[in-house]
Amino acid sequence: MRRRDRVKRAIAFYFCVSLFCAVLPILLSYSLGYQIDFHTLRIYKTGILYVESRPAGAAITLSGRMLKDVTPAQIEELKPGIYKVEVRRDGFYPWEKEVVVRPNMVTRADRIVLFPIAQEMKIISERSISDFAISGSGYIYYMKKSGLFRTNMDGTNMKRFSAHAVWPSGLVGKKFSPDGDKFLYFSRSAVGVVYLNPDKSFDQSAMAAKVEDVFTSADPIIDVFWYPGSGYIIVVTDKDIKVVELGVGTAPNTVPLYKFNATPQSVFYDEGNNSLYFVDTRIGADSKESNYLYRLDMKKKFFDAMIKMLSRQEPNAGYEKR
Amino acid sequence: MRDMRRDRFYTRLFEIIPGFLTWTTIAGLFILAFIKPLWVAIFVITFDLYWVIRMTYLSMLMLFAYRRLARESKEDWLKKCESLSDGHGLRHNDIYHAVLFPSYREGLDILEPSIEALEGANYPKDTMIVIMSVEERAGPEAWANAVKVKKAHERHFWQFIITRHPDGLPGEMKVKGANATWGAKVLKEFLDAKKIDYERVIISCFDADTCADREYFGCLTYHYLTNPDRTRSSYQPIPVYNNNIWHARTVARILELGSSFMQMIETMRWEKFVTFSSHSMSFKTLFAVGYWPVDMISDDSAIYWKCFLHFNGRYTVVPMYVTVSMDVATERKILPTVVKQYKQKRRWAWGVENFPYVAVGFMHNNRIPLFTKIRRSLNILESHYTWAVWAIIVTFIAPLPLIFGGGLFRQTAIGYNLPSVSAVLFNMSLFTAFICMFISLKLLPPRPDDVKPQKRLVMYTQWLLAPFVVALLGSTPAIDAQTRLMLGKYMHFYVTEKKRHRTPNS
Repeated sequence: MRRRDRVKRAIAFYFCVSLFCAVLPILLSYSLGYQIDFHTLRIYKTGILYVESRPAGAAITLSGRMLKDVTPAQIEELKPGIYKVEVRRDGFYPWEKEVVVRPNMVTRADRIVLFPIAQEMKIISERSISDFAISGSGYIYYMKKSGLFRTNMDGTNMKRFSAHAVWPSGLVGKKFSPDGDKFLYFSRSAVGVVYLNPDKSFDQSAMAAKVEDVFTSADPIIDVFWYPGSGYIIVVTDKDIKVVELGVGTAPNTVPLYKFNATPQSVFYDEGNNSLYFVDTRIGADSKESNYLYRLDMKKKFFDAMIKMLSRQEPNAGYEKR
Repeated sequence: MRDMRRDRFYTRLFEIIPGFLTWTTIAGLFILAFIKPLWVAIFVITFDLYWVIRMTYLSMLMLFAYRRLARESKEDWLKKCESLSDGHGLRHNDIYHAVLFPSYREGLDILEPSIEALEGANYPKDTMIVIMSVEERAGPEAWANAVKVKKAHERHFWQFIITRHPDGLPGEMKVKGANATWGAKVLKEFLDAKKIDYERVIISCFDADTCADREYFGCLTYHYLTNPDRTRSSYQPIPVYNNNIWHARTVARILELGSSFMQMIETMRWEKFVTFSSHSMSFKTLFAVGYWPVDMISDDSAIYWKCFLHFNGRYTVVPMYVTVSMDVATERKILPTVVKQYKQKRRWAWGVENFPYVAVGFMHNNRIPLFTKIRRSLNILESHYTWAVWAIIVTFIAPLPLIFGGGLFRQTAIGYNLPSVSAVLFNMSLFTAFICMFISLKLLPPRPDDVKPQKRLVMYTQWLLAPFVVALLGSTPAIDAQTRLMLGKYMHFYVTEKKRHRTPNS
């Protein structure tokens, strides 16, 4: 090997070794979150703050200091401590929070949602709305004193569906049936059902809806659920649980299912397995009264028996405790 | 008997070491990524930086080597030989060149261009002896090809010898070294009959597809004459794979160009330079060491180590900045090309068999300084170890701390910085791809008429695929070879089939 090549190779080799020795400590320090304070010539630990917002492009202020970066941004070399982070963007409400930056760690403020200042808010209905219900098929139903109306989701294309004008005051809830053909509404004392297309007409734009008051109760109604077949509703009052059979134009049948020992504190209907869960008291094995969680299985097998019972028209049949 | 048992024990021990180191590294890093992701992350960053700087260093060496190649390949070496004074003991017209082609089933499309390249050499052909040693097991067709080539070309050379290497000679494996040794023994008989001094004969052992540069023999003669230790040196040209490069698949081109570049770099690292593929040496030396090993796959490097041990460490490889051109191992379709490349690279990686051979050889040789023994052993071990692990670390181990480290690790500064730091280092290493692109274009032969002009664009952009090729074939053949050696499942010689395909536009 020629002497010139030896010299060139030696220069290249020592240059690369020096480069490695010089860069490695800096690279590892940076990666691990260490910095040098050039005033005191001391190494200190730093933390990283990552700020991301939706929408992006928001200005960041860190403890009163406006940063050049906009979101999403990675703010490095922060001394550990508490920082007040403000994220601002024109047309949106600002976001601010105090965050803790820890040494050698990354603090993430990456779930910031900036809500727009509501310049687009507008009234989409006429006045005198008693209540409304929104169907899964993309319509708004208005309960008004002049009848039942329907519009698209933006309030356009209003059509009258029923002349029914008497709606209970103090509605607690509205629930669409699983088949989407009707919805129920209820107050503390009454339950009504709106049949959106009782004749199963193809022309759904016609004024075809029928509204029926299906149940009134002297006991306060807590909740009402649809049974999956959409032909029955389950009414829970603070005294008992009842099943109401629906039928357009006929008087609804009612069957009591369960009588509470005490006012129920919590009721939940699980549509997945057709079961009603509730808390009730009973006397346990130790002769003391206590709260228990009950499950009322309302699967088809159970309901077939119930339907038979309803067909016998025995509304005063005894309570069945499960 | 006891010595043989002891040798066998140490040979097995040294066979196990490379594979053991490789698997310990890979498995260790994999396990640590679960239990100590921070340690692995620090290791990955350190290794990435080391690799970038190593690539930088090797690129510089490659540029130095390329500049010498560009300059020296233009020399009229024959004129330089003629202008040499008589003070070197021998003159150029005292020298005979024996060119040995151990062949198997290569067709005329492979053999003819190799012989034609000899005819085109800027060197007197009346001092050249061509020996074509054909494997008997290759069948009558291979022999018929050799006869045809001899008939067509023998008039251009002083002698053209064809011989059949019998199959299954005692002590031999089915390896190229056995065939080459057979051809060398036939040459010895010829030289003895002509009473030619072995020192006056330079033997070049070429693969069947090797096309020597027209200045090869002039350059070789010049270095041989001017080398005071001419019989204690091998002479190594720079192998390029230009014969079919325009028709080869991209994946094969990248890998073979990578091999050429590594050889160029090795010429600048003389202290670890070892013969590779086609090379030349004094016939006197070859005879003294008992020819090529007949039971080792890596005969090209093994002959160097045989000489190194024989001459007690006083043996070197002289780099020659002229090229010999060979075929890219390729196929018409991509998948068979990948398989072919994999097998060829695995055969090259089987050069790790030199480690036990050399280490045990060192144990028996007290004349080689201990420092030299340690340095050279570690050179072999390090090169094969690095070959087996680097691509695995860069491509597969690097992301593991983030995958297995869990949310807590990702919340740390290093867990957060690891992807960006790795990406920056990776991008920095890409500049070596530009150097590779530049040199590969400089080495590229003229475009054949049957190749479309737009193929040149592929030659520019092919390096973008290098990271994927490296991930696929960078380390896996070496791991395969080392694992086989570790487990004692010895490889047989895989003959890379050479055919000139016309792949339209890969």
